[in-house]
Amino acid sequence: MSTADGLRVVTLAAQAEMALVRRDQVAGPLLAQAARAADGTPAGRLLREASAMVRGAPEREAVRQAALSLCRMALQDAHAQVLGAAS
Amino acid sequence: MSGRLLGQDAAVLGAAGVEVGTLRDIEQWAFRSVSRPAGARVVDAHCHLGVDRDGHALSADDLVADLDAAGIAAAVAFPADEPGPGGDFSQANQRVLDAAAAHADRIIPFCRVDPAVGAERAMDRAHAGGARGLKLHPVAQRFAPESDACVHAVRHAADLGWPVLFHAGFGARPLGPAFAALLEQVPTARVILAHGGRGDHRSLAAVAARYPHVVFDTSIAALPDLATIPPERVVFGSDRPYGDHAQALHLVGAAARVAGWDEVALRGVLGGNLMRLLGDGGAA
Repeated sequence: MSTADGLRVVTLAAQAEMALVRRDQVAGPLLAQAARAADGTPAGRLLREASAMVRGAPEREAVRQAALSLCRMALQDAHAQVLGAAS
Repeated sequence: MSGRLLGQDAAVLGAAGVEVGTLRDIEQWAFRSVSRPAGARVVDAHCHLGVDRDGHALSADDLVADLDAAGIAAAVAFPADEPGPGGDFSQANQRVLDAAAAHADRIIPFCRVDPAVGAERAMDRAHAGGARGLKLHPVAQRFAPESDACVHAVRHAADLGWPVLFHAGFGARPLGPAFAALLEQVPTARVILAHGGRGDHRSLAAVAARYPHVVFDTSIAALPDLATIPPERVVFGSDRPYGDHAQALHLVGAAARVAGWDEVALRGVLGGNLMRLLGDGGAA
């Protein structure tokens, strides 16, 4: 993954994280975009799962919090990728 | 198999249509993502118990179940933002002390105060009940870290031999000058800046470099911030129930790889640094 690709995932995952924290409905589209941007990486798997969860039950608090966990792990992986130490 | 998953009730997630098996695989992968040194005792520096006024909640039994699932020995816990009438945290503090008594060796109780509301008396009462430290939240309780009331509370905590954990995450105010002013007045204070000091990390890191007893916790921290802090200044934390142990451990694993922490450094981050701060001599 190039630095530009990594930064794209960082940007989208960070936006999705904040949307989930704020219970903003834009979290779903942002997670889907982030998952596509990270396709083929560990972060992509995490974001794909989070996106599916939020799409399936967007109003459930436990789902929001679990999706937030996956999103944060994806952001951590993307940061590590950009900083040069992919997991 | 634990009924908990990413800090949630697995049955609730399953009923919502979540693929629980897939999520459990991810959780186990996250737990394994940090290479734990042999015999390392992992201790979480940052958990809230009770029901916060924003709706987040965690019971002592659920916290211990989460610790068990993640292989974490113990956790520092303090009240959620649930003050009583007038802003007094006495009842919430007593509930945390009761939880620690019910879960000996698993919950390390800190008390929480509003520095402007009978703080010294509340701290003395908590100290007599077995509290080991103080949690302060400048945003929730609306005070400045450098205010006279806060300086007084931190000085009293130092007199009691307590570390003080400060919220240092989301908030609009610049934090570096505020903590510089506080630490200038109480230079021996043992301070834990939560969330990697993400609210003003660059400024806080410069201030912390001048005070050897100031550390950062990893709860909901940003990886680029953690990777630039000396590992002896980092303590593991989760921010339960706002964070969970899977992503908290995953963050430490990623930071260790990026920053090149060796086994000694990782042992300290996962628990040893915190236990030293608590005066337990690095027992982890």
